[in-house]
Amino acid sequence: MATKQAPTRQAITLKGSTNLVTEFFKYAANTILFQRGVYPSDDFHMVKKYGQTVLVTQDLALENYLDRILSQVNKWLLTGSVTQLVLAIISKDSRVTLERWVFDVNLVEPPADSTTPSAPKPESEIQAEIRYILKQIVSTVTFLPIIDEPTVFNILAYTHESADVPADEWVDTDPLAIEASKSQQVKLRSFSTDVHRIEAMVAYRYEG
Amino acid sequence: MSSIPKTPSRYRSRSDAKTPLTPSLVSAMNGVSLSSRKRDCIADISNPFITRSRPASPKRSSSSVSSQAHSGIIRKGGVESRLDVISRDYVPPQSSHKKEIKRSRSTPAPRDRDRAHSSGAGGDRFITARDEGDVANTLEMMSLNNNNASPGHTARLAAATGVPIGRRVLAYHEAPPSASSDPALSQQRELARPLYGRPGALPSSTGTTTNKSRRINTQPVKVLDAPGMVDDFYLNLTSWSSQNAVAVALGECTYIWRADTGNVTLLGEAPEGTYVSSVDYSNDGAYLGIGLGSGEVELWDIEAGQKLRTMAGHQGQIAVLSWNNHVLSSGCGDGSIWHHDVRVPRHKVMELLGHSGEVCGLRWRADGEMLASGGNDNVVNIWDGRVGDVGEGARGTAKWTKRNHTAAVKAIAWCPWQTNLLASGGGTNDATIHIWNSGTGARLHSIKTPAQVTGIHWSPHRKEFLSTHGYPTNAIMVHAYPSMERVAEIRDAHDSRVLYSAISPAGDLACTGAGDENLKFWQIWDTASTKKKKSENKDRPASSTTKSGILSIR
Repeated sequence: MATKQAPTRQAITLKGSTNLVTEFFKYAANTILFQRGVYPSDDFHMVKKYGQTVLVTQDLALENYLDRILSQVNKWLLTGSVTQLVLAIISKDSRVTLERWVFDVNLVEPPADSTTPSAPKPESEIQAEIRYILKQIVSTVTFLPIIDEPTVFNILAYTHESADVPADEWVDTDPLAIEASKSQQVKLRSFSTDVHRIEAMVAYRYEG
Repeated sequence: MSSIPKTPSRYRSRSDAKTPLTPSLVSAMNGVSLSSRKRDCIADISNPFITRSRPASPKRSSSSVSSQAHSGIIRKGGVESRLDVISRDYVPPQSSHKKEIKRSRSTPAPRDRDRAHSSGAGGDRFITARDEGDVANTLEMMSLNNNNASPGHTARLAAATGVPIGRRVLAYHEAPPSASSDPALSQQRELARPLYGRPGALPSSTGTTTNKSRRINTQPVKVLDAPGMVDDFYLNLTSWSSQNAVAVALGECTYIWRADTGNVTLLGEAPEGTYVSSVDYSNDGAYLGIGLGSGEVELWDIEAGQKLRTMAGHQGQIAVLSWNNHVLSSGCGDGSIWHHDVRVPRHKVMELLGHSGEVCGLRWRADGEMLASGGNDNVVNIWDGRVGDVGEGARGTAKWTKRNHTAAVKAIAWCPWQTNLLASGGGTNDATIHIWNSGTGARLHSIKTPAQVTGIHWSPHRKEFLSTHGYPTNAIMVHAYPSMERVAEIRDAHDSRVLYSAISPAGDLACTGAGDENLKFWQIWDTASTKKKKSENKDRPASSTTKSGILSIR
């Protein structure tokens, strides 16, 4: 195998990157659900993560639900078959999509000239990027329209057609898109590991 | 039919399967003709991607036309083995060759449409305006077509929404759990809580209060009827003497209830047109000072049951009295505090001016060195207790003036076992108990209570004190010192705010009175092993006091 015993922190592997990205989705989803009031705020408690406090749900049912989804996302990330994750916030009564939080998952192509691998990205830098995204999600509350109706959320995964799908758990669905004429889009920051690059975007219904 | 030559072209036949079956969807999937079924069978075999990646597609809620047809065939057709073989056969090349194959097979598309056109009456719905093969090919590659009947619509949708081609949009099969509590409701609750909420009961969320808490009897050990008890925060209408007798003022009458015997005697009545506003026993329990609404201070001999003298001079109601040996101090409605020397004819020996509001809390330290007073002006004053030889008209100034309270200060108590400590509690807007060091003037502790503080008493034997409270809790609370933790609490001790309180000389019972015209006795602390006995005052006027010292209660 490898002659050089490189410390694990130096080279981030696909698996490590996948776990990192999955974890990011977990906290991002929790942050969105809290900030947008999908679940009552007293369901959330503060945890230290990425060098800041993040609000994470205490609701066991929701926790398990997110875990089940993310474990599958984790598998897809490993095979590289997921290209986009969407958290849609939907009006509970009218089923109208109010917001779509889109996370594009791009695989970072290894440099064509495989002479020397570029210096791996330090984890602190990745964490800082993640922190910026989460902070940006929090700050979007300032411009997103106020949601004053009960809402539910849905998580969509855009996969390649060839992706392995556990059939009775995941179903094809409507993309829950917002009509282009009534939607505003704001691009958020992105972060990248050595393997993945996550680009975030929020689209929201804005009629005015 | 044209299906037979199409058998080898597996990918093309997917659209074969779709096209003829769509009308049969209209006819509720039941009228699938034999020929089309056969063709579908082949078509589905030839579509390993659907077969493989969606093994349980019949269970899916979103009805995919092709997969439903597929399932129907499998059940009826009896071609499972062949299907297995072929599909398994076909799995490996899928990922690498799929698109390429699709493209290469795109040419037969027009033929399909022709056939569809000729076969079904509803089929012409599927002839799109665009007759080039690319459109059908594009549609074919799109995964959107699963739940759409119209490919044209699919194309438009794809263009409009930007749904990626060659991808699937998947959602988890179950809906996210609904919130355990209604968010709107919980928000309302949060907003409304401070308005009418009573603070949490004893095992509070902080958890720390429980470790020192102890159970006390929340039922009174004795209840006496007290008709006519005035519901006035500023008055002080109960006093418990070292002789174990409780003096209670009800309107204009003063009653003595002897705890040892349970006898009640009427001590006397206030003069016509006024009422009793305060009572206080002298340290030895032989005399009772009675303050009147008209400003007079009366001195009564308990044993003889007669009035010894009346000390006039105040202009306002005497809301509070406090004894220090031969000096009876009175707090007046005009904010002045007078020291009356009960032995001498010119009784007013000193006047303390430090309050701009009515003085409703007044307490001498047990050693007589200091006097603490609280008033309706939210001020706590601590005075030097040395009256000394100053003549009449001498005026004192406060040693400390504390303005931390934000409401009237009625509850004043000196700590019996640490003489420097003074506790004071504020009224409704304040509801805070402050503990002061009278030597340095420092505020040592503060504790916020749920309701107005109407009285504070230190336990003589324990490092605890009790406080009585008004609306909304109407509670008696016991706090530990110095941790200030709540040790015990009796909620709703009275039906109205607990206004007047005294503790027994033995230090185990507390007596409370309230506007609900009840006098209740509570077992707050255990009977102490050592009975507290007031040191006898030498220069007390020699009168008919029997120092029998029966201090136990029953």
